[in-house]
Amino acid sequence: MFKEQVIRFAKKEIVPRVQEHDLKGEFDFQSFRKLGDFGILGLHFPEGLGGSNADVVTSVLAGEALGEAGVDGGLTLAYGAHTFLCADTIFAHGTDSQREKYIPKLASGEWIGCMGLTEPAAGSDVAAISTRAEKRGDRYILNGNKMLITNGPVADVAVIYAKIGKDLKHAGISAFIVERGTPGFSAGKNLDKMGVRASHTSELIFEDCEIPEGNLIGQEGAGFLMALQTVEWDRSALLAPFIGGMTYVLKKCARYAKERYQFGRPIADFQAIKHKLADIKIFIEAARSLTYRIAWCKDQGRPLNHLEAAVAKLFIGDWSLKPANDAMVLHGGYGYCHEYEVERYFRDSRLAPIGGGTSEIAKRIISKLI
Amino acid sequence: MNFDFSETQKILCEKVKGVFDTDSKANLAKLGSGDDNMIRIVVSQWLKTLGQVGYLTLGLENGKEAVGLVAAQESLAKISPSLFLSVDVNARIFGRLIAIYGTLDQKSQLLPALKEGRLIGTVALSEGGMNIENNPLNTTGVPVGDGFLVTGAKCHVVNGPIADWIAIAGKVGKNIVFFLIKKDSEGLSIGQRLPTLGYNGTAISAISLENCPVPLKYVIGPFEGEEPLKTIRTWEDQILTAGSLGLMQRCYNAALSYAKTHKSGGKPIIAYQEVGFKLAEILTLLQTAQLLAYRAAWMAETGDKEISSLAHCAKVFCSESAEIVASQALQILGGYGYIGGNPTEEGYRSAKYLQIAGTSTEISRMKIADGILGMG
Repeated sequence: MFKEQVIRFAKKEIVPRVQEHDLKGEFDFQSFRKLGDFGILGLHFPEGLGGSNADVVTSVLAGEALGEAGVDGGLTLAYGAHTFLCADTIFAHGTDSQREKYIPKLASGEWIGCMGLTEPAAGSDVAAISTRAEKRGDRYILNGNKMLITNGPVADVAVIYAKIGKDLKHAGISAFIVERGTPGFSAGKNLDKMGVRASHTSELIFEDCEIPEGNLIGQEGAGFLMALQTVEWDRSALLAPFIGGMTYVLKKCARYAKERYQFGRPIADFQAIKHKLADIKIFIEAARSLTYRIAWCKDQGRPLNHLEAAVAKLFIGDWSLKPANDAMVLHGGYGYCHEYEVERYFRDSRLAPIGGGTSEIAKRIISKLI
Repeated sequence: MNFDFSETQKILCEKVKGVFDTDSKANLAKLGSGDDNMIRIVVSQWLKTLGQVGYLTLGLENGKEAVGLVAAQESLAKISPSLFLSVDVNARIFGRLIAIYGTLDQKSQLLPALKEGRLIGTVALSEGGMNIENNPLNTTGVPVGDGFLVTGAKCHVVNGPIADWIAIAGKVGKNIVFFLIKKDSEGLSIGQRLPTLGYNGTAISAISLENCPVPLKYVIGPFEGEEPLKTIRTWEDQILTAGSLGLMQRCYNAALSYAKTHKSGGKPIIAYQEVGFKLAEILTLLQTAQLLAYRAAWMAETGDKEISSLAHCAKVFCSESAEIVASQALQILGGYGYIGGNPTEEGYRSAKYLQIAGTSTEISRMKIADGILGMG
């Protein structure tokens, strides 16, 4: 099975370096490239563009497999931002020449991608972004700042959302491709984060950054819808590694509970320990059902159901906190130590109710749709 | 993986809903009268109409309609949780017991009437507590002539006071046997209907048997292992999982409609985040529970090896979500939610049953954990 292959690959090629990179807060370029070589980074792109033409469900299973193998949330987040937020936007909305130029190199991992939407003063309120794109002849001039951009410091290619026209709200948002090294484009230093530490996050700065007009993705003003369309990926394949990671942690918990003796017997004999194991499993199965459903609907070619997407985000974000905590507590004092890895999962998963739209935003979307 | 309903399944759900019109509400309210006879009359009446649309035959013959079954059950439980419990214990536990384990004669005698809603049946399992996991059956049959004399006591029998037929789980020697006993049989006494916290329209009672004669033709078994008891538990859990979905739907609908129509400060209260966000949390639990329950059903259909664990996960998650959903929905209705007879108040009181009955959440969690420890 494909999932088993991914697990075997990740355990052999990636997992041995995971701990070191997390603790140092370093991006693992070697592992990222290996993900590309194995075919993960471009899984769903057509074969002609360096992909494997996989469906969304398969992409979800691949993401789960990475987590299940023990790959940290940092590397999987870097993969998610790269493949689904950056590369897929170019693939889904770009011209043939844009696709041919960027997708094969992104699929192989030769280039790293990022996506810039959030700004220092505009996160959840997308319409309030203030980065401007001004047309001058056959060029666009970008000015503004992006913030909390995953892969920002390491990216070769950035998909940047900026506004055309001062007074426009959603309708003015447009997407542009900006390459590393373009004059006027720079990245800030890596932000020191609680979790997902092996993914680098930074500010992106645009000061009279000049790009060719051919770097516009799709039409002017179509950017908001493009950003929305990444949501399906965000709520399925991007969350899948978190769920797989919970399975990895559950297996660690089971092993620890069987090996750890207290009061003359393995702690796995105590009902309070079994209760925690069961709760972790229940979360995993509930979360899987949500992501599989979204992936399956996308494979059927159905339009995005915003309500279901927000429900999945809200559930997985909010309800992952307790099982992640349970897994750490089950390991007692050892759980608090880096060596046992459960604390890494605890730190990494804490992003789930924050990144890609907070739980509050999910609730806001749901309460407005019902 | 398939997350879609077939046309046949959709049509059946529509038919189930179509059985109930605007006048039905008053009739269903009579279930809450507390009068056994009234409950028997109302349940019998709905059994006949539900039989006509094919609701009672679902999952009876081949056990391969798990997904469609949940969809239909959810439709009914959303309309009346109490009627659902009564009807499904009849069709999906008593009915299945006959259809799957019964003799040819038993099938031809009982199944046609059951499918048409002309009889009410139940299975009496539990003794001295809601859980049989750690308690052996004390009800026993002593061979006498062409049958058995059965003696024992059962507690918490759903449909006990209104059943025409009761299948009693007991033992003959070391083997498990089910004795099919008709109401008014000699030696069978049905206890007073038990007052319950919720599901007030479902009649539950204790049953006792004292040298109750059961001819051989009304015996199912003997079975050497505990397999039939375990199987019946999975049926119960399935009903309670689907019942949780319907109960949540009913509470959510009541809370949503109240939040949209009730105004405070000149705007509907759904416009306030304290209310709107609560509804979002409710819907999140409801939809997640649905997907988990349907995925478990789908795995049952495809014979997935993980089904046992998934079914327990679904039962725990759905039944515990039901309590949270009912509580939050009641909160949205405020003072009106606290007044008896509204869906959220009924749901709040009834939700506890879903966690206690069948495999309790405690036992379910231990079974889920055993599976994990075996795997790790």
